[in-house]
Amino acid sequence: MSTLLSYPQPIEQAVAQIELILAQETERLLPPHLPLSYRSLALLLLQDDRGLWQQLTVSDWAYQQIHAIIENMQQQLGESPVAAIARTRQQTARQLEQSVLSEPATTQITIAERLHQLTVNPLTGFPILLGILYFGIYQFVGQFGAGILVDAIETAFETYVSPVVNHVTAVLFPWQPIQDLIANDYGLITLGIRYAVAIVLPIVATYFLMFSLLEDSGYLPRLSLMLDRLFKIIGLSGRAVIPMVLGLGCDTMATMVTRTLETKRERIIATFLLSLAIPCAAQWGVILGLLSQRPLALLIWAGFITTIFLVMGFLTAQLLPGQKADFFIEVPPLRLPRLKNILLKTYVRMKWYFWEIIPLFLWASVLIWLGRLTGLFELIIQGIQPIALWLGLPAASAPIFLYGFFRRDYGAAGLFDLQQQGALDGVQLLTAAVVLTLFLPCIAQLQIMIKERGWKMTLAMATFIIPFAFVMGYVVQRSIHLLGVNL
Amino acid sequence: MMLSTVKPGTIATVAALATNNDAIVKKLLAMGIYPGVEIELERRFPSYVIKIGRSRAAFDQQIAHYIYLRPCDC
Amino acid sequence: MNCHQCRHTCHPNPSKRRPPWWRWSRKQKLPRSFHLPQALPKIALVGMPNVGKSALFNALTGSYVTVSNYPGTTVEVSQGQTVIGEQVVSVVDTPGMYSLLPITEEEKVARDLLLSTAMNLVIHVVDAKNLGRMLPLTFQLIEAGLPVLLVLNMMDEARHLQIHIQTEPLAAELGIPVLRTIAATNVGIRELKTTIASYVYTPQLSATY
Repeated sequence: MSTLLSYPQPIEQAVAQIELILAQETERLLPPHLPLSYRSLALLLLQDDRGLWQQLTVSDWAYQQIHAIIENMQQQLGESPVAAIARTRQQTARQLEQSVLSEPATTQITIAERLHQLTVNPLTGFPILLGILYFGIYQFVGQFGAGILVDAIETAFETYVSPVVNHVTAVLFPWQPIQDLIANDYGLITLGIRYAVAIVLPIVATYFLMFSLLEDSGYLPRLSLMLDRLFKIIGLSGRAVIPMVLGLGCDTMATMVTRTLETKRERIIATFLLSLAIPCAAQWGVILGLLSQRPLALLIWAGFITTIFLVMGFLTAQLLPGQKADFFIEVPPLRLPRLKNILLKTYVRMKWYFWEIIPLFLWASVLIWLGRLTGLFELIIQGIQPIALWLGLPAASAPIFLYGFFRRDYGAAGLFDLQQQGALDGVQLLTAAVVLTLFLPCIAQLQIMIKERGWKMTLAMATFIIPFAFVMGYVVQRSIHLLGVNL
Repeated sequence: MMLSTVKPGTIATVAALATNNDAIVKKLLAMGIYPGVEIELERRFPSYVIKIGRSRAAFDQQIAHYIYLRPCDC
Repeated sequence: MNCHQCRHTCHPNPSKRRPPWWRWSRKQKLPRSFHLPQALPKIALVGMPNVGKSALFNALTGSYVTVSNYPGTTVEVSQGQTVIGEQVVSVVDTPGMYSLLPITEEEKVARDLLLSTAMNLVIHVVDAKNLGRMLPLTFQLIEAGLPVLLVLNMMDEARHLQIHIQTEPLAAELGIPVLRTIAATNVGIRELKTTIASYVYTPQLSATY
């Protein structure tokens, strides 16, 4: 064994004893050929590694013996074995580092260091944070991505692609239903591909570019430490800032990243808030585009969703039992982002996202086609129509909520189409935007929720979210009317 | 003295980690925060930020309460 | 509660990862339970968050995994392949871990990988300028009897701070090879591959057939 490290005598003695027991258990030990040495396993058991206990199968005799050894060791040691073991390792590490590493006696203050101080000092840090949100997110993603780029690509698609597709399909397939499957209003290409390429792609690409830039520069941990106190109110810690910010790009990806949160309670709250009140880039991008002509409606939408986020987070934190989250994070130095890295990250995320959504958009087109062909959709839409009317929306908006079941952004994109036709007024747009934002997440996110949080939890969340979204839509609509606000 | 009571700019030696919460102790140890180590408190708001050697860590007030300091050996 | 935990052990549960019926064009990612190709020699990259593991993975395999400067963005285990000499080698990138004793789920994923799969080589990637803080994990890997190689990554940043590290005495003291790299710009990768070669050309490989 390694002579590099020797732990305090009680620990070494206990390790030796446990090693012997484990060696006798080889026959029964499951899994039989562990790649880790007995010394290593013994040290982990001494430190009360519950995960390892669950995976090792040893006889009752060995189990009791090992526990007796650990108890005995603890009495002799008089402190936590975890601390004693870590201290031994750290001290040895420091001595070794001193013998091989040399550094200048005085460290000069670098630009990165100055920048760090600016980003974490509340006086300068919060303005920087708001500046990043305004320019990086609102201006770059919202105005440039969701505005200019979407308009350009949409127009190009409508001008050059759709007519050609419609024409070619009409020539090739004389049968109307097949034409509708590929082209026309709800076709695979004219609806599915168009939504994915012209509306969703530019928004998500600009968002991921921004996120990758922030990530590569090392700013994200600073964002966490700046917002920790605020997040504590809603039962989360600063660590949860990252999934939330990522959620503004793609909630599915973000739900997956909630795994980095340390307590189960935090993971549940984060998953819930992501599915309720964090719109993904495609969604808020489209909504931004829809409401950009009506700044007051946009402000009310943003304020309302933020309020729901905070209030529901606060209430969930009050109701959910369990320990409060701690916040502890390593803060790496700020560094100049590498263009290659940023492009690579954006590319990987885009690729992931695109393969995730393209099939969904295509399937949605097929299902809509099938549903319309069989008349099933008509039935469902008729069922939703009363709700739409109750919300003060035109009956023609009912399909949006149905499509919203497939993907929230798909629903939002449908809303975009409806608005282009001039079918909605300000209050109606606001109501629809609120309902769609709060509404159930897309199919992909639902799947990840089930995978990460389990069936029951997901079902409970969905059961709450669906009626809640409609009721909140109603509340907004009624309040605007009662207050007589003109949007 | 507790880390949560000293002024920013203080350089001191960790005297003890006073908590029964294993997860926190393990995290602090993994970052190299353990009795005998010298740390510098950079700021207390909006979160506690400390410097340890060439690394830096941030945490909340609760964790700061657990870290006991004594005057620096330096 | 129990069921929640059992989903994160190393027991394979292939049914969970079957692509759903509506997803016809999805590439299979490596499941969280690790089905690495049996016959290939395996090497794992381990280390604390934010030391450039993923960048090193990219440099070694040429495949694209997101490279992160945020602790905890590699949540899935990524697997790729590289050719060392004439040998195809399977390379696994693990979530960041501080110690063999896991605190978070990601760390547990990394630890369980080492616990469940015999590796031909475990590459411990460290941030050169924070060597002292990262050595405890090197000790633990050596203690565990694993074939360990220490890679001092991000040498450019260390050099920028005028930090110099003598690798020979370090290697002698630890009893394992120590190399320097700058993974982001592919510096030191050729030497790394040469060193890996001596671990993956072992006769025991043919014996497993």
